[in-house]
Amino acid sequence: MAAAHWAGPSCAQPGDGAPAAGAPSFRVSVDDSPNDNGSALTLTWSPAEAAAGAVLTVLRETAGEPGFAPVGRVQSGVGTFEDTRGLARDRRYRYRLSWDTAEGVRRTPATGWISPRAQWFDRSRLAVAVAVPAFSLLVLVSILRARRGARSSIRRIQGLEAVDEAIGRATEMGKPILFSPGIDEADQPGTIAGLAILGKVIERAARSGTRTIVPNRDPVVMTVARAIGQEACLVAGRPEFYRDEDIYYATYSQFGYAAAMVGTMVRERPAVNFFMGNFAGEALILAETGYTMGAMQIAGCDADTQLPFFITTCDYTLIGEELYAASAYLSRDPVLLGSLKGQDLAKAILIGLIGVGVLLAIVGIEIGGFLR
Amino acid sequence: MSRTFPIVVAFVLGVFMAVQFFIPHPRVTGIYNTLLDIKQVVLGCTFMLGVLSLIQFHSRRIRRRHSGAGYSAVALAGLAAMVATALVWGTEQGPYRWMFNHVQAPMQATMFSLLAFFVASAAYRAFRVRNLDASVLLAVGVLVMLGRVTVGSVVSWEWGGETVSLTTVSEWFLHSVNVAAKRGILIGVGLGMIATALRIIVGLERTYLGRD
Amino acid sequence: MSAGAGERLARLDRRLIFLLMGLVVLVPLLVPIDLPVVVSEETRDFYREIESLSDGAVLMLAVDYEPDTMAELDPMTLAVLRHAFRRGVRVVALSLYPGAPGIAQRLLTRAAGEYGMTYGEDYVYLGYNPDWSGTMLRLGESIRATYPKDQWGTATRDLPLMAGVDSYEDVDLLVSINGSKYAEYWAAYAQARYGQRMVSGNTAVMAVFIYHYYNTGQISGFLAGIRGAAEYEKLVGLPGDGTIAMGSQSCGHLLIVILIVLGNAGYLAARRRGTGGRA
Repeated sequence: MAAAHWAGPSCAQPGDGAPAAGAPSFRVSVDDSPNDNGSALTLTWSPAEAAAGAVLTVLRETAGEPGFAPVGRVQSGVGTFEDTRGLARDRRYRYRLSWDTAEGVRRTPATGWISPRAQWFDRSRLAVAVAVPAFSLLVLVSILRARRGARSSIRRIQGLEAVDEAIGRATEMGKPILFSPGIDEADQPGTIAGLAILGKVIERAARSGTRTIVPNRDPVVMTVARAIGQEACLVAGRPEFYRDEDIYYATYSQFGYAAAMVGTMVRERPAVNFFMGNFAGEALILAETGYTMGAMQIAGCDADTQLPFFITTCDYTLIGEELYAASAYLSRDPVLLGSLKGQDLAKAILIGLIGVGVLLAIVGIEIGGFLR
Repeated sequence: MSRTFPIVVAFVLGVFMAVQFFIPHPRVTGIYNTLLDIKQVVLGCTFMLGVLSLIQFHSRRIRRRHSGAGYSAVALAGLAAMVATALVWGTEQGPYRWMFNHVQAPMQATMFSLLAFFVASAAYRAFRVRNLDASVLLAVGVLVMLGRVTVGSVVSWEWGGETVSLTTVSEWFLHSVNVAAKRGILIGVGLGMIATALRIIVGLERTYLGRD
Repeated sequence: MSAGAGERLARLDRRLIFLLMGLVVLVPLLVPIDLPVVVSEETRDFYREIESLSDGAVLMLAVDYEPDTMAELDPMTLAVLRHAFRRGVRVVALSLYPGAPGIAQRLLTRAAGEYGMTYGEDYVYLGYNPDWSGTMLRLGESIRATYPKDQWGTATRDLPLMAGVDSYEDVDLLVSINGSKYAEYWAAYAQARYGQRMVSGNTAVMAVFIYHYYNTGQISGFLAGIRGAAEYEKLVGLPGDGTIAMGSQSCGHLLIVILIVLGNAGYLAARRRGTGGRA
């Protein structure tokens, strides 16, 4: 609390309504509120010195507009008050506190003039400001190493290993594949991960002449899915295989979308259902219907509330971040695998820090205060 | 240009949105608010895109007399009816309000209600004591289910000087084991989200463009 | 138990299961069962947050659900409004789900009518905004800029209630009633970024995800599904649909447990006889 600090004198000046000589008074100071956009000032006083049990009225005067006006009320024992009402960075303000007593209204002397200031850095987010770039650096270094030829291995993810088996099943049965990229918008990581898998599925399905039906809940996701579908068919050498009507917008309504999906399952009788993305309450409706239809089902969902439903009804389920690893896993692109490695390194460091924190907490050493 | 420009925009805006989180200064939050306004306008336009796609899809099915074309006709008729009645009578009263309250609301509630039946059949089918993992899942599932209803608070016993009920056990699972597992998954998902966002910002992940 | 009987028990026709479930849910609704409701800690905290609001405080109510989850969430929304209005708390309501406005208007009108509240002074409904993430963030900067007009086209600056309410700083408590992940988004955008105090009401399936936010204090209290609604109605002293539904929920859960037990009995009997007993 540097330059923008002013504490009133402990002795009152005559004629300003301050307590008479010998009567208790207290000091109030005002500072610019930290970590904000210059819209707040904070008053502080010692609760021990203040009028015990009183309700203090906070009065504010704006430079150029004589006269104090009330801006709030606070219990004296609180010791602090933040004024956020209509402050401007180009104006100056000063404060005083008043409270009722049996002898009449008492007031503290006015503070000095002060203007609120906007900060360029929110120090309360320091921990995030350190952790996110550190983690990002780990991922970027891993990516750079991968570009230079460093090899990364990835453990088997059964759900993704089964993609080829699923497409083969659909081809043999002569039935289509049904793919849902989830119900979230296109800017959500789960949807992006689901669309990455969609590209691979359509490409491999197109090679074997199997149709992929993709009902969408979001129009932007549909647009992206169509572009992915066209590109995938092109890469597979079957550009004529792509059809707009196979990748369509159903409805924005969550359960309306579920009804559309269920209707498609009942009419088209797909051999395989892919549920890859973010799902909510409709997950069980989709998966259970698919199960009763006898379809092979592979699900990947980053909403872990729906995982139990997928696990009990689907043949394979990608859990949590396995969905995000899908594009790296299916493409085996060294750069993408490198980013996965960076992710895992960061997780290992976090697990280590959690372990250290737990041990310190057990022996009674508290170190988390600086993070808040 | 068609590939490079979106990637550059994603990079610039991605870095800005990440950095602005730490800067409360009005000069930065002003830009941030403008971007949010732009996003709102774009979002409004995407709904038009969705409606046009819907009309196109179902019209094609009707023209080509696909099986199920009748359902497409119903879908288009419903769309037209809701739009027309909203324009003519407004959304606060009249046929629009009636159709919302007496057609759409019950249909949506019906779909959600299916979950009750599906949970029963899925639980009956899946909760079997095939192995140790499945048995633990079964036991905990039954405990939590009973603990969440009145029966759970009625079935109680003394333990360590305190009265413990199935509800207490259920709450313990939800507050400790469940939270621990979810936190683990959440941390992994969070790191995965950051890595995915990073790949998008630096242009490695180009799925959103519709191509690799 | 014979292997054949075991097989049949392990492979009950799912239509029979559906029929039984329909009956055990329907009958208690028609013939209500009076069951004791034990209030959980998270519901008690939810109640305390609203109970601690003083006369004239501002509560922001986000009604973020559609008719599909109405049966589970309407009781808690109505109870929140009644609780708030009874305490003289002013309500600023909004929706980020397209199907929510009809629900919000109906419940606001009903609760306001019960307590003689005046629109514009005691409560306002800002309406639906399609950009949910942008709205959650913009409300921290300016509510009037985010919602220049209310649901009925009145300029928000002309509404008496909105005179001193323009951001989260002017809102004493945020209540999010939703059937999706919106409580987590509100926690990430409103609570984490702007320090907005919040509580949430969720469907039972989504409430499982709220526990760690509750444990860390990011969400100060929450209602979990229809049971949470019943508990809250008990605390508020106004039993409603949540309390009535407890009978159906209890019977439904008991049926599922019985089916699981029967299914496993059949499975074990069949397995003992070497017939597999697969579902």
